[in-house]
Amino acid sequence: MSSTQQFIDAAKSGKILSRKCKNCGHHHLATVYFCQNCGNREFEDEFLDGQGSIATYTIITVPPAGFDKYTPYAWVVLKLDNSELRVSGFMAGIAKPADLPMGTKAKIVGFDDRGIIIEKE
Amino acid sequence: MSATFVEKVCVIGAGSTKYGKLDDSISDISIQASVDAIGSAGIEPKEIKAGYISNVFGIADKQVHLGPVVMSNLGISERPSLTIESACGSGSISFREAYANVAAGFYDVVLVTGVEKVTHTGTDWTTTYFSYCSDFFYEGQSGASFPGLFASMARAYLTEFKATEEDFAMVAVKNHENGLLNPKAHLRKKISVDDVMNSAVVASPLKLYDCCPFSDGASSVIICSEKFAKDHGKDYIEVIGSGRGGSPAALQGREHLTTIPSTKIAAEAAYKMAGITPKDVDFAEVHDCFTIAEVIDTEDLGFFEKGKGVEAVREGQTKLNGSISINPSGGLKSKGHPIGATGVGQIVEVFDQLTGKAGERTVNDAKIGLTHNFGATGASCAVHLFKSV
Repeated sequence: MSSTQQFIDAAKSGKILSRKCKNCGHHHLATVYFCQNCGNREFEDEFLDGQGSIATYTIITVPPAGFDKYTPYAWVVLKLDNSELRVSGFMAGIAKPADLPMGTKAKIVGFDDRGIIIEKE
Repeated sequence: MSATFVEKVCVIGAGSTKYGKLDDSISDISIQASVDAIGSAGIEPKEIKAGYISNVFGIADKQVHLGPVVMSNLGISERPSLTIESACGSGSISFREAYANVAAGFYDVVLVTGVEKVTHTGTDWTTTYFSYCSDFFYEGQSGASFPGLFASMARAYLTEFKATEEDFAMVAVKNHENGLLNPKAHLRKKISVDDVMNSAVVASPLKLYDCCPFSDGASSVIICSEKFAKDHGKDYIEVIGSGRGGSPAALQGREHLTTIPSTKIAAEAAYKMAGITPKDVDFAEVHDCFTIAEVIDTEDLGFFEKGKGVEAVREGQTKLNGSISINPSGGLKSKGHPIGATGVGQIVEVFDQLTGKAGERTVNDAKIGLTHNFGATGASCAVHLFKSV
């Protein structure tokens, strides 16, 4: 199974599959094959909780193909609570900035044809 | 990284079509810009030893593999060519490859032409296909449009620094003022801060007038060895610095959401090669695909401290003949953004400025010009420095 498929399967159960470098301890999302920090190829898989807070986001009103029926929606960057990692994804039902203050607690709840699905906690 | 080059490299000719909605085909406009540059250089096509053609969405106008088409129509079908794609940075990245080959002594005269033809496809097509330039698994797939990605940087900037949406709007107003003086610009229209603030929201907090247009257009330059330029006797400028850099493809992987790492890496390399600092630069053509991008660019290029780029805009420092003229051509915002052509178009502007051909938008007493052009959200970047001779 490709690392991308493993990542998707984890996201479907609300988890983020990360890879911790066995040499230097640097964390990456599971789609990486070599350590960005030291170049090592040996990793230890870690399943991280998909909880975090909103690091930044936008509310899309002119969408790419396939997203018309969800518009407006938010595209968000989530900073995970128990890791330095950030993960971005789709959040439904956000129409104005007041709906989503920066730092709002949110979590990964799935993965479908809209990529990683994130919801407010 | 350092390199030992055989040759100094010069730009001896530059040409461009108008940017905007063009009727002619992608092949036609590529050749028109190339012919214009050849005329400007005062050379014969047979003197060109290779062609570097940058383009992203040739498929939209039923022509990929543009290189041989351009060369054939210039009557030099036997010459090698290469077609290069690096999203919105294609033009300057192609220029860099051409530059390296002339510097290494492989060729003495090279054609560098960038082109894009997409306006006939409409906003839905362009919004969708441009999103394929992102790290699609993490970004485009989950509904991020390009305005959306830069809007996410804009919101981070508004949170981190003392800045307002009106500050961003002032970048658009300034670039439209410059574009009004550029006969080849796409959007030649004076606008106000209110016009920007009242325009439709595309991806909050960015509004329509914070965004550059989708444009058609082609730009071309002729570059050559210093020996060829000197023997030839026409106006030329010298390439004094060339830098490249990369960033994590997805925004989520960047340490800061308000800086573009590839710009800093490329700029540092270019300044080092030229032996100059940001203070020595008289004007710069920077990648202002969105207003927030110009603010971030001017900080990452070292013109202003982090978080102070908006202050500089407010004070008018970046206006034409301010303390540093930013985007005298009108930038991507007003001049337009035919994505495969943009990076080459910036070099055309620098050539025109440093050889006294910029007319009403002339930057006074300019000796050193910088170009900064990146792909996608700055995942790839090239910075070049040029000096008048």
